[in-house]
Amino acid sequence: MPGPTHLPPLARAALAVLGALALACTVGPWLLRVDPHAPHWEALSVPPGSAGHWAGTDAIGRDVLARTLAGGRLSLGIGLLSSLVALGIGLAYGAIAGLAGGRVERVMLRVLDVFSAIPFLLVVILLLTLFERSLGLLLAAIGGYVWIDLARVMRSEAARLRVSGFVLAAEAMGATFGQRLRWHVLPNLMPLAVVYLGLILPQAILVESFLGFLGLSVDEPSASWGTLLAEGVQELDSAPWTLLVPATFLVATLAAFQMLGDGLRDWLDVRARPQAGA
Amino acid sequence: MSPRLALEAVEVHAGARRLLGPVSLELVAGECIGLVGESGSGKSLTVQALLGLLPGGLHATGRLREGTTAFAPGTPAHVALRGRVIGWVPQDPLASLHPLRRVGAQLVETLRVVRRLDRATARAEAIALLERVHLPAPAAALDRFPHEFSGGQRQRIAIALALATAPRVLVADEPTSALDARIARDILDLLDGLRRETGLAVLLVSHDLPLVGAYAQRVHVLRGGEVVEHGPTTHVFAAPSHPYTGELLAADAAAPMAVPTGTREPVLQARGLRLRYPRAARDALDGIDLDLRRGEGLALVGESGSGKSSLGRVLLRLARGARGEVRFHPRGGAPVDLLALDGSSLRTLRPQLGVVFQDPYASLDPRLRIVDVVGEPLRLRGMAAAARREMVATLLGDVGLHPDALDRHPHQFSGGQRQRIAIARALAGDPELLVCDEAVSALDAHHRGAILALLARLKAERDLALLFITHDLAAAAAVAERIVVLEDGRVVEQGPVADVLAAPSHPHTRALVAARPPHPAGG
Repeated sequence: MPGPTHLPPLARAALAVLGALALACTVGPWLLRVDPHAPHWEALSVPPGSAGHWAGTDAIGRDVLARTLAGGRLSLGIGLLSSLVALGIGLAYGAIAGLAGGRVERVMLRVLDVFSAIPFLLVVILLLTLFERSLGLLLAAIGGYVWIDLARVMRSEAARLRVSGFVLAAEAMGATFGQRLRWHVLPNLMPLAVVYLGLILPQAILVESFLGFLGLSVDEPSASWGTLLAEGVQELDSAPWTLLVPATFLVATLAAFQMLGDGLRDWLDVRARPQAGA
Repeated sequence: MSPRLALEAVEVHAGARRLLGPVSLELVAGECIGLVGESGSGKSLTVQALLGLLPGGLHATGRLREGTTAFAPGTPAHVALRGRVIGWVPQDPLASLHPLRRVGAQLVETLRVVRRLDRATARAEAIALLERVHLPAPAAALDRFPHEFSGGQRQRIAIALALATAPRVLVADEPTSALDARIARDILDLLDGLRRETGLAVLLVSHDLPLVGAYAQRVHVLRGGEVVEHGPTTHVFAAPSHPYTGELLAADAAAPMAVPTGTREPVLQARGLRLRYPRAARDALDGIDLDLRRGEGLALVGESGSGKSSLGRVLLRLARGARGEVRFHPRGGAPVDLLALDGSSLRTLRPQLGVVFQDPYASLDPRLRIVDVVGEPLRLRGMAAAARREMVATLLGDVGLHPDALDRHPHQFSGGQRQRIAIARALAGDPELLVCDEAVSALDAHHRGAILALLARLKAERDLALLFITHDLAAAAAVAERIVVLEDGRVVEQGPVADVLAAPSHPHTRALVAARPPHPAGG
């Protein structure tokens, strides 16, 4: 069948970059054999390229590369987990609303509108300030921020499926709401969900970095990319590499996700492919 | 006279595989060329090659000639012909009109960009174009959105849009397959008038052989990517030289008149059905009474918008908000009112109410294998996988499909085969009643005849009550004994098929009967 059967080259390059980044962040800290939290009093604020510290050290002598890789592990991990949380909520909510139709759908959409109207970042900041910070709360906060758009997209696709022949046919056969949801709607939403995972992951990573920058993410001595950026800004005059190294990693990650998302959308969009047989 | 545009031995390849050709066509001023074939025969590829719009991965070889200049397909010189020389009327006018922009804005934009008119002149020209396509109140139409028009009017607007660039060749790709018979006829009359008045060269692409026969002077018959026959329409129809053309003609003529059955016990009785959609000005269904008996085929006929599909859905309780009574007589049980039934009792009765929808591409879940598609009603009843597989294989045999279809996916089948699969699925619940909602109108003549024959056979074998919803009177006559004609949500005429077709009493029925395209070979 004609049509794109392979990922576009740019998206493949982006995937390779992301793979390398993820690999570096998971096994990197272990390979470096440098404790990201241990200060080296003999080497304070040494510039990149110094012996033993490829990306230099910060004001109290911690290795910047080791800290960036360890931070990446947290940023990517939290981003992935919270995206999955958002995907789960958004997929379920959207699919139920779209398949139900009628009044249920209208009410559920109104609820989404109410959620969108709330300045969510402010609420998240408030929550994280007021309550004991925990990983669970952080995941829920970020997931709660990104699920709304996702639910909207899933809702419209599920509504399209509801009136498409095969879901109506299932109703005509006597399938219950749950059976139609499980057998037809959710499986047919999965390709779209995968694409949207690629789109919300960078969003979640960005939100986490933002919270980290404000000091609302993980606590010392752990550091995510956002935390590192906040530290780096403090040392901008004396040791700019403490800002530039984690910033480069963050920007590379977000840019790669953007390219991957575009490529995935083209690749998986069945409707963009020509019909077979004509 | 030298042709305006010619394809010379054009072939379309996907890598090393040849999908189409060689096709040679000459589009002459004031002449309509018909391009006929069933789905998958390469009609669309020919149009795409002609327009230089082949999908990625395909490439065309051969030559195109415009007047005296010749060039290779797909070159910039070829692409420059679009609009200026070739106008295109698409199959689905909704797809070619921007849904969020007013009709006027779309026409004026085209006129300003392509013909470099100023705003006032472009607006005047847009009104003139809409007048040429006989759209009522053209000046007011400019300020309306595409969705405010009916299907036929939208197709007129799409034609006006195609004419806006003052093309000398018009390519009409299945321009009427989404329209009902009477409106289809109007649209083709319009194209025919334009051809006569302005000497436009028209390429009419269709799967509908009689339709092409009524309007084209010359016809090319495509099959499997090759032109199997071409020549003047009257010759091709009178004496088809290729067996496939004969087959296409025969498939269309196959409309055996069914014999009315005597009075048998009723399966479905509808009384006083009313339905009004939210914010609609009038009732979609306005007091309908209907009786359907065991072993009987009942055709429900009407134009689009007459309420026939709504009625089908209300009878199966697939639409909300209907009032009235639908009395269903289940096998070995007391009659029940489907509209008053609670959810779980309704679900237990559902298998006895089979349904086949219009669009065989939308009605099968693309992710499931055929064994799971057809086996879904059985799975709902809790049948084990092995037994299900066996039963599905038997059902596929019943509808004329090979059992090796079991493990394939819907996209591997043609439209006609998919409709067979949909019928097998409807039969899996062992229904008393089978509702076919425009089940053959998306199919070409060849497959339409075969599916109609299948439905007639299944009805006889299984003693089914068949409700056949259609706008096609010939199809209705092939499977039904009785006919009910709907207009604006009311029954305007009913009776035995032969009587209604031979002597329609209501003016609306007469119009429908008259709208059947004539057969040029004395049919």
